Amino acid sequence: MKGIVLMTMKKRSESAKAYEFKTWRDFTPMNISVGTMLHNMTGSWRFIKPIYEDKVPACQNACPAGNDIEGWIKLLQKGEYDKAYWHLKREQPFPAILGRICFKFCETVCNRKQLDSFVGINELERFVGDRVDLSTPHPDLPDYNGKSLAVVGSGPAGMSTAYYGRLLGLRVTMFEALPEMGGILRVGIPAYRLPREILAAEFDGLKNMGIELMPNIAVGKDITLNGLRSDYNYIFLGTGVHESAKLNLEGEDESDRIMSGLGMLKKVALGEEVNLGKRVTIIGGGNTAIDAARTAVRLGSKVTVIYRRSETEMPAHPGEVEEAREEGVEFRFLAAPENIKINKDGSIERLVCCEMELGPPDESGRRRPVKKEGALFEVETDSILIAIGEIPAFDFLKDVVKTENNLVVVNEGMQVETIDDGRAKIFGGGDIIDLPHTVVHAVAAGKKAAIAMDCDRKGADFSEVFQKIATGDGRALSFSKYMGWMPVNPVRQNNTKVVDSEKIVYDYFMKAPQVEKQVLDAGVRKGSFDTYCKTFDEDQAQREAARCMHCGRCTECDNCLIFCPDVSVLVRGEGQFGYAIDYDYCKGCGICFTECPRNAITMIDEEIPIQVDD
Amino acid sequence: MKQVIKGNFAVAQGVRLCRVGVISAYPITPQTTIVEELSEICARGEMDAKFIKVESEHSAMAAMVGSSTAGVRSFTATSSQGLLLMHEVLHWAAGARLPIVLSNVNRAVGPGWNIWADQTDSVSQRDTGWVQIYCESNQEVLDSVIMSYKLAEKILLPVMLTYDAFFLSHTSEIVDIPDIEEVDAFLPPYQPEFRLDLDNPRMFGGLISPEYYYEQRYIMHKDALEALEYYPMVCEEFHEKFGREYDVVEEYRTDDAELIIVTAGTITSVTRIVVDRLREQGKNVGMMKLRMFRPVPVERWLDVLGGIPKVVVMDRNITAGLGGVFASEIQAVLYNSETRPVIYPVVVGLGGRDVTPDDVEGIINYALENDKPKDVPLFWGLKQ
Repeated sequence: MKGIVLMTMKKRSESAKAYEFKTWRDFTPMNISVGTMLHNMTGSWRFIKPIYEDKVPACQNACPAGNDIEGWIKLLQKGEYDKAYWHLKREQPFPAILGRICFKFCETVCNRKQLDSFVGINELERFVGDRVDLSTPHPDLPDYNGKSLAVVGSGPAGMSTAYYGRLLGLRVTMFEALPEMGGILRVGIPAYRLPREILAAEFDGLKNMGIELMPNIAVGKDITLNGLRSDYNYIFLGTGVHESAKLNLEGEDESDRIMSGLGMLKKVALGEEVNLGKRVTIIGGGNTAIDAARTAVRLGSKVTVIYRRSETEMPAHPGEVEEAREEGVEFRFLAAPENIKINKDGSIERLVCCEMELGPPDESGRRRPVKKEGALFEVETDSILIAIGEIPAFDFLKDVVKTENNLVVVNEGMQVETIDDGRAKIFGGGDIIDLPHTVVHAVAAGKKAAIAMDCDRKGADFSEVFQKIATGDGRALSFSKYMGWMPVNPVRQNNTKVVDSEKIVYDYFMKAPQVEKQVLDAGVRKGSFDTYCKTFDEDQAQREAARCMHCGRCTECDNCLIFCPDVSVLVRGEGQFGYAIDYDYCKGCGICFTECPRNAITMIDEEIPIQVDD
Repeated sequence: MKQVIKGNFAVAQGVRLCRVGVISAYPITPQTTIVEELSEICARGEMDAKFIKVESEHSAMAAMVGSSTAGVRSFTATSSQGLLLMHEVLHWAAGARLPIVLSNVNRAVGPGWNIWADQTDSVSQRDTGWVQIYCESNQEVLDSVIMSYKLAEKILLPVMLTYDAFFLSHTSEIVDIPDIEEVDAFLPPYQPEFRLDLDNPRMFGGLISPEYYYEQRYIMHKDALEALEYYPMVCEEFHEKFGREYDVVEEYRTDDAELIIVTAGTITSVTRIVVDRLREQGKNVGMMKLRMFRPVPVERWLDVLGGIPKVVVMDRNITAGLGGVFASEIQAVLYNSETRPVIYPVVVGLGGRDVTPDDVEGIINYALENDKPKDVPLFWGLKQ
């Protein structure tokens, strides 16, 4: 075959001689190279190059526990529900719990919000948790490494420390002062949000992993902290907050009709009798206030929540507030109690409140409520529940542990500063340290503490290790990275680069409505402490999971393969994941990077050895 | 199987019968229903074609260049501004010698915005190197799709087949749709000598120096002329297999004619009636229907028109400052003929203006009555 020769400059002169066209008859119809162009290694033109690099989705980065949401959703989509469950538990061991009550930081940053609405991650997590027998122990438990851990307090922080501690080979004992295990999960969060049998099954799971559960033992009363320090190598304090802050109003302590919201919830949870009367007033705007309000509704009372700021400043989860409202809870914003008048028989004569207005922002960034002088009003109520914040009770550890502003002081490695050093090292987490009071923060703290203990055991510097195993650009740690476990995509992902919405190519995603969760009618649900929201069925879960955009993670969508103008994206062989770049010919044009819907490709500088001829 | 279908559906059926592998188009009235129908045919699984949605006609033609270079039979359709937007790539497709078939529904060029029949869009693409075929009926449209691929894949040049907006695109006629097996027997799969091949990558359309470009263009010209030899053979084989006759031109009652009127597109059907009517009146008139306009069938035009005293050329197109394009080219071809006729160029029916039998009769009578054209060109029916 004949044609026009186009070659590298060096070869051109020789070749032109070989293909000298004497007449037009020597030509091909179109100008085409006479031979293959494989010799023309266009890769030498490149100064930046694409690499396949899985990154950290915004949801995972936002999760305090660094839950690999994209990973288990991918497994869920394949119908591999068991795998999805165990994968989820790598970073967050309690999907059936957090799948119900999590604060859902992930959903608020979901990149899909810029397309239609966030992926219902929390509902999917619940689906994954609810499909398995929660009491099944971890299938791959290591032998004990000879070190022991005493977990004081069986709330989410303690549960998490125990779980990860056991996975790292510690012999674990959990101490709980109350007769029931679970701490705040058992006595703070009402059963309609977290059914008791779910919590019980999770503890069966911990027990089946070899963790010893010791309810009804109060450290500081039944045993001493220093006693534990003699018997165990490590101690984790996860005792939480159980005392309510006070209004500091006259008469506050004079009636048994005035109690703390948390105290009331605890009584209900433990089956003790609570007599609230017909009209209940809740003071406060956090999750405890809402839980107390909805619990009081279920006990047959008419409930009003009084909050000193406006609805936008409320720390309670907006979804919970909405559901409370549906159940008949009334809200009175911009109001605060001024004084309480108690009758001789202990009943409440009246509650006087003052209207408030919002002043300049305070240290929390929210606008500070200021009294409207003289704008008083009366509230008729049979009982008052105070839910304006909780404080820990530190009496039992005062002699051992340093506290500051009612918080236990820990270093970055979750280790507690003790007054006397020596003996067992004490770690702490959950609500007793300076952390937002959410369950997922507690779980994250537990994981961190367990890893820090393991670092201590090995004599490794925890801060160096933490840097290596950071999930993203936040404070979450990856237990998978610590253990060297492979991600769902069988590629090493060693970076902490976060994929936010600016890195998503939305043109490649179709709008799809969020699958609605099935919630019982408010009229029905307020008559019972039963769960009022159904777990997704398989079809619902699959439809919702299909909405995940897999930000930063290759899905083998073939876009790079299709768009590469130089045919330099190669499919790996049968059974191998993803693609390879043919760097002999890739010109570094970046089209693959631009057209990757989910930022699973990164362009990096080419390292070109530069030779300078003198 | 005979069906009553619109011209746009006839094209779509033709494309299906040719087992086209890639379709890419951007919608524009009055072409839109062609690709709508094709997309549905693809969606129904009646055709194993890749349907590529694009953001413009330029991209549609660029997609055709890609798919055709890869050796796949490729089809697109457009109209008016859409065709004009393709212009740059039309040159490329021809220069790259890609046997693409494009159906252009002739529509006026704006402004003023006008969606009706007018051939200015396609005649203004005459220098792109594409073969151009003008059609008169829905049956001819369907048959021309099939014959166009046969021609294109032989001479390695793209073919543009055109027909009038609405008069054919949206008008139903009886169309005989052949069985696909018959078409298979007539049109074998496209097997290019040169194609994109990942295992043997070559450079297509690269830099070419002044030393060689000239010859390359000469080859393109020569191969275009080959269509004049080959297309009649394609028509002959088509006639044998399907029973319908076509050629590069069609003559109608030209024997002993003293005047021949030249037409293209749907005006032909009107003119045929007028010719019959005038013959009944004893006037010796005939008609030549232009089918192939590129390459120019010089010999056939000379043969049909050479010895005729008067030739009227009706142009449903205009190049401002000259007149109709067909008339201009026929004049050029006949100029060196020893017995060259008097040419009466007429510009008619622009922007879908109706051209009635009375109009055509008036135009012919004007030519019969005048030894020389009074106006060059004549604007027939101009509001005075």
